[in-house]
Amino acid sequence: MAWPSVFQRGTLLSQFSHHHVVVFLLTFFSYSLLHASRKTFSNVKVSISKQWTPSAFNRSIEPVEIWSSNHLFPSAEEATLFLGTLDTIFLFSYAVGLFISGIVGDRLNLRYVLSFGMCSSALVVFIFGTVTEWLHFCNKGLYCCLWIVNGLLQSTGWPCVVAVMGNWFGKAGRGVVFGLWSACASVGNILGACLASSVLQYGYEYAFLVTAAVQFAGGVVIFFGLLVSPEEIGLPGIEAEENVEEDSHKPLINGAENEDEYEPNYSVQEGSTITQVKAISFYQACCLPGVIPYSLAYACLKLVNYSFFFWLPFYLSNNFGWKEAEADKLSIWYDVGGIIGGTLQGFISDVLQKRAPVLALSLFLAIGSLVGYSRSPNNKSINALLMAVTGFFIGGPSNMISSAISADLGRQELIQGSSEALATVTGIVDGTGSIGAAVGQYLVSLIQDNLGWMWVFYFFILMTSCTIVFISPLIVREMRSLMQRRQARILSG
Amino acid sequence: MLHARCCLNRNGTILGLDLQNCSLKHLGPNFPQAHTAIIIDLHANPLKDDLASTFHGFIQLQTLILPEDVNCPGGINAWNTVTFYPNNQTCEGQRNLCNSTGDTEICPENGSCVPDGPGLLQCVCADGFHGYKCMRQGSFSLLTFFGILGSTTFFISILLWGTQRRKAKAS
Repeated sequence: MAWPSVFQRGTLLSQFSHHHVVVFLLTFFSYSLLHASRKTFSNVKVSISKQWTPSAFNRSIEPVEIWSSNHLFPSAEEATLFLGTLDTIFLFSYAVGLFISGIVGDRLNLRYVLSFGMCSSALVVFIFGTVTEWLHFCNKGLYCCLWIVNGLLQSTGWPCVVAVMGNWFGKAGRGVVFGLWSACASVGNILGACLASSVLQYGYEYAFLVTAAVQFAGGVVIFFGLLVSPEEIGLPGIEAEENVEEDSHKPLINGAENEDEYEPNYSVQEGSTITQVKAISFYQACCLPGVIPYSLAYACLKLVNYSFFFWLPFYLSNNFGWKEAEADKLSIWYDVGGIIGGTLQGFISDVLQKRAPVLALSLFLAIGSLVGYSRSPNNKSINALLMAVTGFFIGGPSNMISSAISADLGRQELIQGSSEALATVTGIVDGTGSIGAAVGQYLVSLIQDNLGWMWVFYFFILMTSCTIVFISPLIVREMRSLMQRRQARILSG
Repeated sequence: MLHARCCLNRNGTILGLDLQNCSLKHLGPNFPQAHTAIIIDLHANPLKDDLASTFHGFIQLQTLILPEDVNCPGGINAWNTVTFYPNNQTCEGQRNLCNSTGDTEICPENGSCVPDGPGLLQCVCADGFHGYKCMRQGSFSLLTFFGILGSTTFFISILLWGTQRRKAKAS
């Protein structure tokens, strides 16, 4: 058993100055705000689709201006399909933007990139949700374009915050710190859900206004308050042993540095902090044994995770008829489950030094919890509980798969010592994952439109099973080594 | 007071309208000006319109005299009494269809039913609701929100700049 190094080093806390605390909090909340504005969109889907369609009564109601004058979409089903398309567009452009942003963040000042990204994304969201409603200008093409731009701008967030954290927090205690820090996305979801549900009664445009304004304010605060690295104020950087090849690839508490767009729990993107070491090519990385199956596995699990993220409030108000604001508040429980799941499972796997068994168990239980959730009764408390449980079992593995497996792949004997391999492999796994998630968004709205919500859950269960199938070789390998280790211990002592 | 074929009250609004025997085939676009009328006489006219939607807004109409071949607007259910005379049809006592106990909801969510004339209903937004489909409730105070946000951002920025970035080297 290897306890995280933080328990062994009593002097850990003395390493952290108030600068560390501020950097932690600033990066934590800036990413939370970015996530919050994404969550706003999914939380107001019901109101938006009501706004874009005429009234669904079987006879026409007077006065027409109040009930039937908006004909952007003829029916709620069409609107739903379009909303799913918007999600897909966003995810694709986000995935593309990530590659670009990593490079840009590496070459330009991280603080400028981050605050620019936050402020301009806030402006775009403001135009998308509030200006179009105030001017009564509803145009499908405009919505798509704005959302593509938003995806590109939001992608600046993750690489930058992770790079800044990587500059300030070295190997000692990194596991615990990053484990806690990676809850920022889930906290952002909860924040976005709370903000949206509290102003939804005034009109969905105010939900967008509030989150965009707060995000813009966050960008301003970042600009004035963020120190990108200790060197900026003359403090020594994190120790040299952490800067160069070997340890910067060492896995975090949840596994290797991995960059991920939508995960509730994240790890670092290597590429932005790496020094000049020879890299393997993209093609070589793809051909490494195991990269393709695990990318596909991650695509499936990310699909399920993001579908919950995007569609849960809509499902709750559609299926049970709950008011959208209440559904928004309840969808928070999924994120709560995800936070606890990611942290706890990461800790356990770090202690065991083996991720696959924890992973496999959690995924099997995830299937069970999906079945249970799909049959949830129309009772808010039970539904919230089932939701938290599902979040626990899906959010945990999602984070661990993205980090652990990429780390293992990036540390294979074939490419030992080549630091850029990890970043490239990470990029492939996460990129495939994002594309899978993007395709999944569209599929969810399609399936729901034609077959109903039950089939959506069957689809999720299928995807989770595919994840297990794709990573079973790794599970077998790790279980075998666990058995061998235990046998060796019995034999030797 | 009586003025030509109109009966007006002190303010000049129409209370009664006598259009009998005017050779009217259509009531014309200006007919809704008489929406305050309590009694209207249209008999002995060769009316060709379907009157179901011409009486929008005639909520005070209690007596309507029509030619014998023209049906009461809204049908028999919209009036308390329908009497057939040799040369006309008299519809009396406009019913408030909002009170009728139907199986289906009369108005969608947040809408409340108000009568709009004989056989006609309107769904206006219930108290406190406004906007498209009456989805919106109350009004969001932009000033308060931006005031709080702006001042908080300002103070936090100043604080952080003072404690963090002031000693930063130019990058």
